[in-house]
Amino acid sequence: MWDNLISGAIAALTAANLASLVFGTFVGIVVGILPGIGPMVGMVMLLPFTFALAPDVALSLLLGVFCGGYFGGAVPAILMRTPGVPSSLVTSFDGFPLTQKGEAQTALSAALLGSFGGGIISVIILVFLAPLLAHVAANFGPPEYFAAGLFGVTLVVMANRDRMMQGILLLGLGLWFSTVGIDGATLSPRFNFGTLSLQNGLDIVPVCLGLFGVGQTLLLVERKILKTDQMNLTRSTLDFSKLWGTLRYWKTLIKSGVIGTFVGLLPGTGSILASFLSYEAAKRSSKRPQDFGQGTPEGCLASEAGNNAVPAGAMIPLLTLGIPGDALSAVLLGVFTINGIYPGPLLLVKEPVLINTLYCSIFMINIAAFLMLAFWLKPFAMIVRIPATLLAVNIMLISVVGIYAVNTRIFDAAVAVFMGVLGYILLRLKWPVVSLVMGVVLGEILETRLRESLSIGEGNPLIFFTRPISLALIILTILIVAIPLYKDRRRTTIERKPT
Amino acid sequence: MNQETKAQSRVHDLLSASLGAFAAFCLITSPWNVDTEGPDPFYKGPLIFPIMVLSMMVLAALPACRRLFSPADGSSWRLDGGGYPRKTLMVLGLLIAMLAGLNLIGLEVCALAFLSVSLYILGHRGPFKLIVLPLVMTGLIVLIFKHFLGVFFPTPLIAEWIWE
Repeated sequence: MWDNLISGAIAALTAANLASLVFGTFVGIVVGILPGIGPMVGMVMLLPFTFALAPDVALSLLLGVFCGGYFGGAVPAILMRTPGVPSSLVTSFDGFPLTQKGEAQTALSAALLGSFGGGIISVIILVFLAPLLAHVAANFGPPEYFAAGLFGVTLVVMANRDRMMQGILLLGLGLWFSTVGIDGATLSPRFNFGTLSLQNGLDIVPVCLGLFGVGQTLLLVERKILKTDQMNLTRSTLDFSKLWGTLRYWKTLIKSGVIGTFVGLLPGTGSILASFLSYEAAKRSSKRPQDFGQGTPEGCLASEAGNNAVPAGAMIPLLTLGIPGDALSAVLLGVFTINGIYPGPLLLVKEPVLINTLYCSIFMINIAAFLMLAFWLKPFAMIVRIPATLLAVNIMLISVVGIYAVNTRIFDAAVAVFMGVLGYILLRLKWPVVSLVMGVVLGEILETRLRESLSIGEGNPLIFFTRPISLALIILTILIVAIPLYKDRRRTTIERKPT
Repeated sequence: MNQETKAQSRVHDLLSASLGAFAAFCLITSPWNVDTEGPDPFYKGPLIFPIMVLSMMVLAALPACRRLFSPADGSSWRLDGGGYPRKTLMVLGLLIAMLAGLNLIGLEVCALAFLSVSLYILGHRGPFKLIVLPLVMTGLIVLIFKHFLGVFFPTPLIAEWIWE
């Protein structure tokens, strides 16, 4: 293990990888600071450029955006009560009151320390937990993989259960998108409606770029310019004396980092839940719970440690089972598969150096993001003054040109624009777009595993119920659907009863 | 389900029903849209998964179809008060025009025109935002994609006509 870790560290320290992760982190912080854009847009915007890079360098670039986005999101949440990323909303509960009291530096110090600590704790857990999970997953056959995939997508759909039917529809649409084109196993054309262009299928890159690079930015076109009058920073860098003061919350930091990692591990739960749970846990165990919500650095630290632990946590099921936990890790899975690398338990055996390079890269991304924000705090904070519309049209242009550049096909760019329109409609209606992305990414995996399983069972679907792990996962899937629905039904019945 | 879901706009039902109708169409036409002439039995073949997925979509759209045809009291088409997205549609139109124009007038002119006109539509005025910024951005895109990444972009037809 240690040999591989050292090899990974050496690979992560190469000039190309370092440049890639630093640039990715920079982009991540910028898109994280800008409300309404977020790390997903940053990742899909850089996606076309990753084809010219080695897999580890490409993944470091995107991981930089992924982690950097969560770091950046805290800045506008604290200074303007406008979270850059949704999970930073919890940070604003205490961050903004501190800013109003003239203690923005204290809030930012706590948030940055929380982000950094949460990120580092989650990487350590990732390093030790991933091999254990991979060891369990090494006994998986096609039925177990199918059941695990089903469990993952069900969690994602149930995470948005107030829009469950819409989630199922989008998941179905995503899964159907994955079937368009030539079927890999039988070479039969499917749903190409007589056109040659559709024979190659709908690739994940134009779909994701369209949904987020075009769809999300079309939403930005309608956005008003943010008022930044309240931004009150006493100096252009972080006040390090405040940073030492927040170190006394180290227990909260460790607890929040662990909570965030385990929340990230579960598909569909997302970073908002990690922030909320960490914040609530810190509040419960605090000696002064009444200060929470009034402006305590401990609240900022807990929330940020929770949400920054999510990226590394989400890497655990991605690397060991090949199941992404959210849309961001779904894009990472896309990059893996495009490079001919298929995440799963064997990945840790087959590509130990690559995996350890990724661990080390995430570790260094956390350091880079911390240093960048600590030394360029004010310049980064000023980014929110850039009009959203100005950014929107530029991101749209880069996305469309970028998607053309991948295969030099105007058809791909047209697909991205079509997906952009679909994404705009879905985002405006607040439908769970993550289900669509999960469908597109997991479609091929689920279909292959289903057909392999049925082949093993000679067409008998009972194969899924005769193997213990598969059966346990299917029972778990049924429970995560049935229990919340039963609770909702019971609550509705109680509410309807006359008092 | 919560209160928000109950009070949601009928636009949601319309979109759900449309997706369901599309899935039903694909499901019905799937024997013609999927080549099943191979030797594999159904459970190994290319049709089983699409049938499962499309059936799931059709079933998920049924409640929305029912609500669409017999709406609840007080339901409306009002969406979010965000108004008619006129500027968004204009920018989208420009984006489509830019794609269509790539072959005709080339990347440089298309990108420059898209940025300048879009920014004008979105209320940006002044030479910096309308001329300098689009010029810099176009230059960067050409530099990165054409020269750094070596991506092939079609020679503008208009240039070919002029040379001829």
